[in-house]
Amino acid sequence: MRTTRRKNNLLAMIWHHPQGQVGLILAGLLVFAAVAAPWITPFDPYDVTQRAEKGLAPGWPHLLGTSISTGQDIFSMLIYGARVSLLVGIVTGLAIAFLGAFMGILAGYGGRFWDTLIMRLVDVMLVIPTLPLTIVLTNLFGKSYGMIIFIFTIFGWVGLARVIRSQVLVLKSSNYIKAAQLAGASRRYIMFRHILPGVSNLLIMSTALTSAGIMVAEAGLSFLGLGDPTAISWGKMLAEAQSGGALLFGHWWWIIAPGIGIFLSVFAFMRIGLALEEVFNPRMKRSGMLLRLFKSINGSYIQEVFDAMDDRPETDEAGKEAAP
Amino acid sequence: MKRSPAKMLAVLLALAFLLSGCASRFERLEDVSSALYIAEVASSFPQTFMPWFSRDGVAPTISSMIYSTLLSYDDITDTYQPNLAAEWAYLDRQGQPLITADGRVDYARLEEEYSGKDTAFISVRFALNPQATWSDGKPVTVRDIVFTFDLATNQKRSNHAGALVWANDLMHKYDQNTGRLRRQGIYTYDTGANEAGYPVSEAEKDHVFYFEVSKVLGAITPLVSTILVLPEHIYGSLVSIEQPINNTDPSPELRHAYENPVGCGPYQLDRANTNSQEIVLTRRADYHLKAPDGGALYKVDVLKFVLFQEINVAIYALKKGHVDVLDASVSANYARLFEHEPGISLFSAPGIFAQTLVINLNPPPERMNAMREQLTNPLLRKAIALAIDQDTLIGYVLSGRGRKVPMGLVREGVLHNPQADLIQGPMEERLRQANEILDSLYPDKDDKGYRLSSGSRLSFQVLGSPGEQDMINYLQVLLQKIGVEVRYAPKGNSPENTYLYGGNFDMTLQGVSFTPANVDIMMNAHYCNLNRSSNYGRLKDEQLNARIASMRTTLNREYKYQLVQEIEELAAAHYYKLPLYCQDVLSAARTDRFTGWVVSPGVGAFNMDSLSRLTPSGQKGR
Amino acid sequence: MRKGYVLERILYTVFIFFIVITLNFFIPRIGVEDPAERYYPPQGNLTDTEYSIIKQLTRKQYGFDVSGWQQYLRYLSQLSRGDLGTSLQAGSPKVSTLIAQRLPWTLVLSLSNMLISVTLGLLLGTSAAWNRGKFADRALMNASTVMTALPAFFLALVFSLYMGFEWGWFPAYTEPDMVASFDWSWRAIAQVARNAALPVISMSIGGVISYAQGTRNSVIAVSQEDFITTARAKGMSTRTVKYRHVLRNAMLPIVTSLGMSVSGLIGGSVVIEQIFNWNGMGTLFLTANNTNDYPLMMGIMLFLSSFALLANLVTDLLYSLLDPRVSAGGGRR
Repeated sequence: MRTTRRKNNLLAMIWHHPQGQVGLILAGLLVFAAVAAPWITPFDPYDVTQRAEKGLAPGWPHLLGTSISTGQDIFSMLIYGARVSLLVGIVTGLAIAFLGAFMGILAGYGGRFWDTLIMRLVDVMLVIPTLPLTIVLTNLFGKSYGMIIFIFTIFGWVGLARVIRSQVLVLKSSNYIKAAQLAGASRRYIMFRHILPGVSNLLIMSTALTSAGIMVAEAGLSFLGLGDPTAISWGKMLAEAQSGGALLFGHWWWIIAPGIGIFLSVFAFMRIGLALEEVFNPRMKRSGMLLRLFKSINGSYIQEVFDAMDDRPETDEAGKEAAP
Repeated sequence: MKRSPAKMLAVLLALAFLLSGCASRFERLEDVSSALYIAEVASSFPQTFMPWFSRDGVAPTISSMIYSTLLSYDDITDTYQPNLAAEWAYLDRQGQPLITADGRVDYARLEEEYSGKDTAFISVRFALNPQATWSDGKPVTVRDIVFTFDLATNQKRSNHAGALVWANDLMHKYDQNTGRLRRQGIYTYDTGANEAGYPVSEAEKDHVFYFEVSKVLGAITPLVSTILVLPEHIYGSLVSIEQPINNTDPSPELRHAYENPVGCGPYQLDRANTNSQEIVLTRRADYHLKAPDGGALYKVDVLKFVLFQEINVAIYALKKGHVDVLDASVSANYARLFEHEPGISLFSAPGIFAQTLVINLNPPPERMNAMREQLTNPLLRKAIALAIDQDTLIGYVLSGRGRKVPMGLVREGVLHNPQADLIQGPMEERLRQANEILDSLYPDKDDKGYRLSSGSRLSFQVLGSPGEQDMINYLQVLLQKIGVEVRYAPKGNSPENTYLYGGNFDMTLQGVSFTPANVDIMMNAHYCNLNRSSNYGRLKDEQLNARIASMRTTLNREYKYQLVQEIEELAAAHYYKLPLYCQDVLSAARTDRFTGWVVSPGVGAFNMDSLSRLTPSGQKGR
Repeated sequence: MRKGYVLERILYTVFIFFIVITLNFFIPRIGVEDPAERYYPPQGNLTDTEYSIIKQLTRKQYGFDVSGWQQYLRYLSQLSRGDLGTSLQAGSPKVSTLIAQRLPWTLVLSLSNMLISVTLGLLLGTSAAWNRGKFADRALMNASTVMTALPAFFLALVFSLYMGFEWGWFPAYTEPDMVASFDWSWRAIAQVARNAALPVISMSIGGVISYAQGTRNSVIAVSQEDFITTARAKGMSTRTVKYRHVLRNAMLPIVTSLGMSVSGLIGGSVVIEQIFNWNGMGTLFLTANNTNDYPLMMGIMLFLSSFALLANLVTDLLYSLLDPRVSAGGGRR
């Protein structure tokens, strides 16, 4: 009950947060662009008959010029590119949230066996180099965004699960859980009815920030050519710009445009996530747990270390100390 | 404490910038010698130069300069020029050379002597050029010939490298299981030539040898023009059944031989200066072939091949003056880059590969489905062929830099058959015809205008690499006009499971090139062979196979070419490999250090002809 | 119990190493019926019987003539001899040779990146922390949010376009003779510096901001500790407090985070290397992928995983040295 009421006000709360507002507006624009792409683009980049002269500079009617390799309108490609980024980012964010929550709660509350098993699994996954493995898997099984989402989910749940687990450990020792246990509630009941709502804030925040991180990573993979070759995505536009000679010819617009697209989408979701973080927990430092999550998706473990020295009671490391 | 690290860092950074600024510039710009810098685009450079190893990348180019063949084949005139072999001749059954009065091959008498007779082979006599030497000074003798060709036919000792060098028509056979010689086909003074009836005197015992080849005209072509001769004094003692020549785990001595090649070609490897980024070849002064005026045949003393992994990087290097020539074909989109560039010229030569759309007209039963069932109908394929507008394809895909290809797939030369071009006429007429054909087969259409076959849209996948995607999209537009849908599908990384050997595809793209030199092998590979070959669609036509078999075995050249032209017509009627275009070969070279670049069909600016004509242009580098 | 902890970590690492090796062996074989399929040469003019002999020889050559189990054991013994496999490239170079050739060049980039990120990051972070709330601090915050949203490879392309192509400050693509003519002379070193400039700048911008942010937080946190207040109260000069007490303690997480990023030293710069055509491990892997060179790909994967494992182990042990709480609690979780 507590949580539903909060969710009802969630959008309002983000809206009232100044930076959250910016994020919402941007995200809204991007979603609109992605959904309405076939109607709002001046040209259809998939339609071969609508190709123009190759390598045109920005002007009219091609606001961002045309590509050197195929003569497609770059502005239209930019708008279509939003589809892939947003789709992959949001779907993967949600998938990671589910999987991470499941594994985290199971590890934190399911007993020592599950805890050990899952943490060992985490250790193995952390060692395997993700980018080379992605390259090998797409080589073997074909290049598609489904494969990319799958791989991201398989590697992305790890960071979230650890954070959730720590939170669960904290919750475990709280009074109302102990009361429920004494009252005889089954493990499963407690997990679903008490623990899960307790970490729901974390999950919501993480979906936003994870999506942002995934968008950057997806751009990188598309740039290397591991995404669906028939789809238009910003990373692939950058790759085409590079291989098509934008650098040689000096066509900066072909490079800057998709980059700005990536930047705006990531920025928007990051803002939303950070606003959520401050909304839920105003006492927390700006660069708290979630920025760490976000960076761990990006492969930089720097922020993970800072919790080690955060001896404050609301953080997870202290909670770990209290675990049985 | 805060100040000093900052100061230190600032000083270091400044130093780094200063250093990099006043460092010397790139090698080629300072090099005033007559070294030619060639940009190669490849994923890596070979470190070993065993010529039978690899057929991709730059290895064949380098090998063909370090090593030599017996003769060189001239595609245009269909003649053989001397190389290691100074003279050669087919022999009649009495052992006399079959040569006309003006010294050319007497094909008429050749046919007379052997056609229909009960001999199983033709004898050929060769005399090596006594001036030919290896780069370590030793002379080229028949021992090298025997070693090379014996090895090529012995799969066990060559670890199937023999399959790579097409020695099949040499009647010198080993039992592949036991490794023992079943039938001898190479004869020299020391290996029983005189006893077998092939006269070799003591004086010429190091230079004269005989081959017995199968009774087809194309038998000697791969033997004399593609097999690179190996030095027996280097490899003879190193190669055995345990250590075959094509060895992925060679002994140190064998590896040393691979890495320090001793060849009899015009250039030799400068091992000291060769590494993973650069291959350096220096001209051999004692090369046995000379220019008509007696001077050196090839004018450039040093060749430096520089590795680039991407074409854009190579083009950048060419623009900056780091290399003289690009040994890679340049896309038409880049033509504008070089237009206003002083010192760089763009060269255009007609291509020799016809790009075709291959239709899977005979899938194996386990790969058959409803759509592919439709492709087995020649009328559908004919309609598709009618709808392909090569002119617009060339204009769109190649920006005009290409030529049309007739249905027979041979553009010009002795093999061209204008009657094989079954589809001609203006596009409107052709489209009308195509629609007429399809109206009778598939009268129903869906709401987008695509025809329906048993209720489902007539739709096919065309397998292609990512670069071909746009072209296939354009094909989609062309075929939409007759109500047939084609969609791009990626080729994937396992062609063995799709088009290459499995018949598991609808359509794909393939480059085809038929020349007098390769027509024996290629036509068989493209139209007959049902195993792992170029016959992706598994065409099976007994009449066609019979024609191709006759074509390969006839000894009458005129008849052979006539048969080839018939084959073109027969094959075209299957509407199996539909021609799309023939792309011009664009290449770029700098003219500020060397001038005299020439191109020929299918070849870019960097070729052996250019090497024999290049002269320094007298200016220092950029 | 330090010794017990060390032993446990080492054994654990070995265990994971075996899992990684096994995965490495099986991944290319998943769903493939005849793994030798891709190595067979085309048939050409050979008869069917001759061709089947060729296929047998090929299978033998690549080791597919024995059962899967035996292949696995053979693979293990091969690995124990330090042989990571043989590449399919012309001339069959050993995977370990290729890695040894390319590794130093990748390290040039990643170590320079690390050096610059840490030093500049420390400087900027501390200055932001001391000037908390003022311009420097807010600038850092804003830069931080902007930089995390901009992928490094995009920055690389932009730098390549302007600093490389348009203005000519640095070579846009690695000069082709950089590797070959390297001879430890000043000229060669300057050439490497010139070529590495753009890749390193692209990579380190994000790193600088990251370390700066982390340092700032760390310094602020430490300066609020009790012992600092005590030092101030005792009358120590600001400078002594700043440097002797605060910074030294604030360094701890930086150092350990440095250790954590060691495992990303080798595999992390694939895209940047590709953009600038830098002759490192990243481009080697991409090349192997493009040419379907499975032995090389899996060899590199194994090498990267082992390196990451080793780096993690060393970092963990070092971390436990620095922070005794960890070894008691059982890990950096």
